[in-house]
Amino acid sequence: MTFPGLADVVAAAERESAKADETGEFPVATLAALRASGLLGLLVPAGFGGAGGSPADMADVTAQLARADLSVALIFAMHCQQVATIVRYAGDELRAELLPALGRGELYLASVTTQRGSGGGLLSSEEPVRAEGDLLVIDRDAPIVTGGTHADGFLLTMLAPGATTPNQVSLVYAGRDQLEVEVLGDWQALGMRATDSVPMRLSGSVPARQVVGEPGGFRSIVTAVFGPMAHLGWAAAWLGAAAGALSRVIGYLRSAEGRRRFNPQSELLLTRLALVRARLDTVHSLLRHTLDVVEQAPDMSVPPVQLLVNALKTVAAQECFQAVHELVEIVGLQHGYLRGSPLYLERVFRDLRSASLNYANERLYLVNGSLTLLDREVRLA
Amino acid sequence: VNPAFLEVLRPFLKYAAGRPVLPGDSLRDLGLDSMREIELLFAIEDTYGITLPDELLTDTTFATAGKLWSVIAELGARQGVELA
Repeated sequence: MTFPGLADVVAAAERESAKADETGEFPVATLAALRASGLLGLLVPAGFGGAGGSPADMADVTAQLARADLSVALIFAMHCQQVATIVRYAGDELRAELLPALGRGELYLASVTTQRGSGGGLLSSEEPVRAEGDLLVIDRDAPIVTGGTHADGFLLTMLAPGATTPNQVSLVYAGRDQLEVEVLGDWQALGMRATDSVPMRLSGSVPARQVVGEPGGFRSIVTAVFGPMAHLGWAAAWLGAAAGALSRVIGYLRSAEGRRRFNPQSELLLTRLALVRARLDTVHSLLRHTLDVVEQAPDMSVPPVQLLVNALKTVAAQECFQAVHELVEIVGLQHGYLRGSPLYLERVFRDLRSASLNYANERLYLVNGSLTLLDREVRLA
Repeated sequence: VNPAFLEVLRPFLKYAAGRPVLPGDSLRDLGLDSMREIELLFAIEDTYGITLPDELLTDTTFATAGKLWSVIAELGARQGVELA
């Protein structure tokens, strides 16, 4: 698939990214370009006016955006994760309400899945939603909401009404106009600064038909769509950011200044470049293979598929950060460590430092260790 | 469902304390996660002397107490094991 309009969004991100990083403000001009491009409707079926794109299309667009700005790529990928979930799990009425506007690319959706004390755990909640007749009353404390101040709607995880255990989590859609939105603090982060992932309090009420999927059934959504789309999107974003960094470094090494300072016969330089490139090719092939498996797997819950989807996330986080770390080492202080270098490696380095923490690798290793024990035959997906 | 089986399950269900475990209850809702699943698998294999093949380790098999028991009973019959 080709993506008309993507070049304009990339150009907008290139113009805005340095300032957004500096000030920690959401890149509003880039979001406006994204809306104008129609790309926010990428995953909406053509019957609803969207582009009918696949997860692979989402990964391609995400990686292209990340070459300019990892924050923008993450914002886009997380929006796509919400859209894919609505397409697959929303009831007919909610689909009819949302998908035409989503298909036109007008709506930007944010995700509210973190809660205080959960350590990023997705599958349990202590934030109940209360049923009042046909309405669900929401009062949600949300410590980190990427793009929350600019989203037109939210998918929130809430403890289902009448839940008897913390694992009965519902996913609920709420439009911004259905909520009172209070921003409780700011986002002063080392990197990913333009995501403006502020703490918020969201309160209001929505009709019960805005539950996405079965009440209390968020877990199966995570297995089938929400988890895989997150890992695919993040991996594509991190890979794009590292690929962009390598591309700029090569451009520099081949420039007049670069050729004065670096010897293309240097065995150290060549070895380092080869290792960086191999990291990116490894992540790229893992991403492509995982896309194929996700698009074909009849049951996403089987251990070999879960292992692969989780390994994509942990390996991409580690390898892409390590690649940029090595690029900093290659080019040295002036272009690797200082702000203001046209290579902006220091920003990408700070941004990519978040990768292992963004749904913590440490948590996924425990899951994958258990899943490895469950797969005695070692059936590689 | 064998009532004794519900008690085999209980230690692996962190939200089942002080309540009955019913055949239709979702094991995930009651707190079974992938880290406890491996311990539960060992307990089933030790208690009933059967082996659960890898391809049955899906969300469907572990959906409810009743579903898991039906898988165990069928494996017992197939593997010629008398279930206690």
